[in-house]
Amino acid sequence: MDSFLSAFFSGTAQGAIYALVSLGLVLVWRGAGVVNFAQMGQAMFTTYIASQLIQNNYSYWSAFVIALVSGAILGAIVDLGLMRPLMSRKNSQLLNSQSMRTTIPVIASLGILGVLKALAGILWEGEERGFPSPVPANAVTIGSTNLAITSFDLFVIGVVFLALVLTTIFFTKTGMGLAMRASALNPEVTRLSGIRVGSVRTLGWVISGTASSLAGLLVTPKTNLSPNTLDLLLIIGFTAAVVGGLTSLTGSVLGGFIVGYVIAFVNVYSAPENVFIAILVFLLLALFFRPQGILGSKEVRRV
Amino acid sequence: MLNISNLVTEFASVKALNGISFSAKPGLITTVIGANGAGKSTLLRTISGLERPTSGSIKWFDEELTTKSVESIVRSGIAQVPEGHAVISQLSVAENIELGGLFRKRKVRGDLEVATKEVYELFPILFERRNEPAGSLSGGERQMLAISRALVSRPKLLLLDEPSLGLAPLISAQIISIVNELCRSTGLTVLLVEQNANTALAVADHGILLALGKVVADLPAKEMIADSSLRAAYLGY
Repeated sequence: MDSFLSAFFSGTAQGAIYALVSLGLVLVWRGAGVVNFAQMGQAMFTTYIASQLIQNNYSYWSAFVIALVSGAILGAIVDLGLMRPLMSRKNSQLLNSQSMRTTIPVIASLGILGVLKALAGILWEGEERGFPSPVPANAVTIGSTNLAITSFDLFVIGVVFLALVLTTIFFTKTGMGLAMRASALNPEVTRLSGIRVGSVRTLGWVISGTASSLAGLLVTPKTNLSPNTLDLLLIIGFTAAVVGGLTSLTGSVLGGFIVGYVIAFVNVYSAPENVFIAILVFLLLALFFRPQGILGSKEVRRV
Repeated sequence: MLNISNLVTEFASVKALNGISFSAKPGLITTVIGANGAGKSTLLRTISGLERPTSGSIKWFDEELTTKSVESIVRSGIAQVPEGHAVISQLSVAENIELGGLFRKRKVRGDLEVATKEVYELFPILFERRNEPAGSLSGGERQMLAISRALVSRPKLLLLDEPSLGLAPLISAQIISIVNELCRSTGLTVLLVEQNANTALAVADHGILLALGKVVADLPAKEMIADSSLRAAYLGY
């Protein structure tokens, strides 16, 4: 029972982080049609910024906020500085073919990942370092009983829960949220409604950058920080996004938690070295049995 | 006044519009008719900025539209209802309508509420079904919703692309007559593209007949109805 509970709680805490990564990937995929391989590179970079600030005696929370803001700015820079100029080049033979239109931004995102890793290596010498958490990683106790959850896990779950509530309110209750949903579903009708779809797309990159920056801040107290630390997180987040159907925001969050539980239970009941295999098998099963995602319905075309 | 002169729009060197010139007077219904492939939809898509013309000009009063973005054209009061009852089926009816007025929400919140109320009065069925996904509506209701989405932007020029396509005759007659009333009561300028020439000419003030990307007749609607040789030559009845 104890090992079940500990798997459940660590699955929830890890799943919460995967949910953020997956949400970030899906936001950019829906809005811009790009799988952003640089996403966790951006998160790695902003976590280094936070780490540097903390070393310079800034408080944890001010470093936390500055890292999130940098994540947002980095997202905007990637879109405005690279993706948009790249895709709007006039008279380009390459851009006339649909397959290149989808391939070019993916390659560009790999390029950004490389640049960010190299920059982090230059600026911070690429050494692995710890990253602090604002709460200790002690088990939570009630009376004298140790619960199978640490206060750090509770902190992660709480922060992600808050972030998800804010995101949900943004998407369902605000005009800008409606504009984002609409332009992902049907860009032409949205443009014909007078909405600047380009700006809406940039906002998608911004929110995605912020969400993954948050994921970086929450995962590194356990994993430490180096230019390559967050690579695995991207793969797990991608699996979660596929499980969620790639286009549904709710699905992407659910996918994050499901993958979190799969990993946690494999970890506890099997062995940590089987986790990679488990993720891969799970990804294949998801693609095989529910390629449309857990929430998705098969696409129906009206004629 | 909408003034189009020498408009050419090409798709991979095929001239879908081959030097089109005509004008549409404010407060009136001008209908563009013609067979399939005559260039009717391309004409509307070029006016709303979705397609870029190779040459020529489109002027709405003193504004040149050919250099403006789709979004700016909508914001200057030109709303297009695209072909095929274009609504976003995953969003609710109310959200589709809200979308049409979103860009002016900050400036004129009060008027937006009035405009929304007006379209619900115009199409009460949409009010009844406002919380349902637009995908659950019938074809006629979708067309009503697409028109409503355009109307809440308070357009001065409404571009309608084959509103009767795929609808039962009774429903399409109802929709055309509502558009007609709107134009007469509010002074809205309407450019109505239709394959169904009889329905369109019955309410229009002026008719433009397109064939293979060219204007072959530019006449008051009444004269066009009367000219049976024109219809026989270009519309086949």
